[in-house]
Amino acid sequence: MKVLIPLLLLPAALFAQDDAWDDDSWDDEEASSNWSGFVEAGLGTRFSADPLINTNNTLEDLRWRLESRWQPGKATIAFKADAGYDGIENDWVIDVRDLTLAFAIGSGADVKIGRQVQTWGTGDLVFLNDLFPKDFVSFFSGRDDEYLKAPGNSLRITRYSPAVNIDFAWTPVFEPDIYLTGERYSFFSPLAGGNVAPNPPLSAIEPGESFSNGEFALRLFRTVSGREYAVYAYRGYFKQPNALTPALEATFAPMSSLGASLRQPVGPGLFNTEVSYYDSRDDRDGDDPLLPNDQFRFLLGYEWEAKPNFTVGLQYYLEWTLDHDALIANSPFPQYEPDEIRHLITNRLTYRANRDKYTWSLFTFFSPSDRDVYLRPVFTYRHSDSWSLTTGANLFDGRDEHTFFSQLQDASNIYLRLKYNY
Amino acid sequence: MQKFFSVTVAALVLTCSAYAEPLTSADEVVARANLTAYYGGADGRSEVRMIISDAQGREQRRQFTVLRRDVEDAGDQQFLVVFSQPSDVRDTVFLVNKHVTRDDDRWLYLPGLDLVKRISAGDKRTSFVGAHYFYEDVSGRRPSEDTHELIETTNEFYVLKHVPVDPQSAEFASYVTWINRETFLPMKIDYTNAAGDVYRRVEVLAVETIDGYPTVTASRVSDLLSGGKTDMQFRYIAYDVGIPADVFTERSLRTPPREWLERKAD
Repeated sequence: MKVLIPLLLLPAALFAQDDAWDDDSWDDEEASSNWSGFVEAGLGTRFSADPLINTNNTLEDLRWRLESRWQPGKATIAFKADAGYDGIENDWVIDVRDLTLAFAIGSGADVKIGRQVQTWGTGDLVFLNDLFPKDFVSFFSGRDDEYLKAPGNSLRITRYSPAVNIDFAWTPVFEPDIYLTGERYSFFSPLAGGNVAPNPPLSAIEPGESFSNGEFALRLFRTVSGREYAVYAYRGYFKQPNALTPALEATFAPMSSLGASLRQPVGPGLFNTEVSYYDSRDDRDGDDPLLPNDQFRFLLGYEWEAKPNFTVGLQYYLEWTLDHDALIANSPFPQYEPDEIRHLITNRLTYRANRDKYTWSLFTFFSPSDRDVYLRPVFTYRHSDSWSLTTGANLFDGRDEHTFFSQLQDASNIYLRLKYNY
Repeated sequence: MQKFFSVTVAALVLTCSAYAEPLTSADEVVARANLTAYYGGADGRSEVRMIISDAQGREQRRQFTVLRRDVEDAGDQQFLVVFSQPSDVRDTVFLVNKHVTRDDDRWLYLPGLDLVKRISAGDKRTSFVGAHYFYEDVSGRRPSEDTHELIETTNEFYVLKHVPVDPQSAEFASYVTWINRETFLPMKIDYTNAAGDVYRRVEVLAVETIDGYPTVTASRVSDLLSGGKTDMQFRYIAYDVGIPADVFTERSLRTPPREWLERKAD
């Protein structure tokens, strides 16, 4: 920790606050410093040791964010990257989150090319049609929410028209989720019948680079009288390495999906529903034990302000594994296969006080079918425009070893982050 | 241009008649004040900065640009708010489709997650980005949500008392406004809580006539219980600039409309 303090104080000296509030100096974006970002230190530790992992810490981050933007002509070039040291991975890290060229074609279409974070769909921390890469390792470690979305290299074209807006994202080289590798957290392996933490860490085999192995994501959307309708299609791969090669190495199975969503006000709050069908292209009959089966996913959600500054969100999510009988009949480990129907209930409570200076939130995932639970309490204190402090915990519990949240019981952790914005 | 002239002429006529003979209908005063405060021109733009001070005098700052378009006068409106300062809210965009006959539709774009977050209808009398201003203060409270009573007419002001139709819908029990008889701008608003104490005050600190419209260029919201306050300044204001309806759509959340956000030479 000794090294962190002087590093944190450094930017304060480097970026002395310019007073943009003198009456005749309205901050002109063109003229003012185009560089901004933050410096952040984060530490997290387990509640109890994981016998498979040689450190109790789950977060040892020191990162420096730098972002800027240039606007030559009508185009925009954006840059956003983190550089820093990850004490758990014991390595320097450079994470480019945004490096894009954006421009319009004619009056109705926007193009964005390059490394970018993308999000669509209506779920709150539950994803059906959003098949852009997610970083679950950051999410489970207490990094800022923004790191749940991992960047990918894509071409995004959005065509806007009164009838329907068309959004197309092409990711030429498959971008998987950042999955559990055994480096920071151990995970359940059916082959081992328990948790494992392979060394070297798990590195799943990714599809070869070719046009047809790329990811194609499409969204048609329209808002009519406050109702947001959307239809989605995707062709690519399952984002998690939930398949095995014939040599029993972890890999990604081909997958296409089709879905739809609706979000609209109902009563005092917001209602959302979303469906998605996952077509496991190489295992449509569900009898290949190496590949995941087709799935149907369904989500219902409602969010409202129960009291001033106190917001409540509830979601019901269902994951229906199709051809479940074939899955069980052919599986070498039927006891570890998912239930035919996995139910998940989520609850988000958010309380903001003192004009958002203090924010308390609790997000709960609870699966009555898997009998496991994941609690995310977070407290944020925004001291000033520059300084903020966040502390929270990731708590996992469950009955069985093999279910999604239950496998992470030894990963339950508490963390603290201190951030300086400049 | 024609609309601009007709509106200006109408405003002049109204102002003169107001001076000649004071209005006696509270609803009429409220309707005129609503028009003046929120519907100047067919559309408008302004840059805004806020200094948020807590009771200990610690300051935070926000800077943003607001674009507004009236779908119809005294009727539905659209707002787009694009933040430029401080760095942790830069590129955050707030879009409001304000409706007279139903709840407003509101979205917030969070650039870090590329997330278009919708805000529920009930969530409006809460802090707007940490300020003492509320979300509802940005786009205005519907006159039909309160009952209005003209309690005094002074040489300078119409003084009105407003009581929410649904007491559960707001944190105040009532509020009193001082509306300038000449410009119809509300110059001061005092909010009273259930205990009968004035706990919140909105004051206009400066007014200028811009493009023919009386326009607030500085205002303050004070939390009289805690001692905190937010000062707001408006600059680079222009009316009737011709902002098209399609600026107020999801497209502008992800790609803010530079053409309308950039400062025009005066």
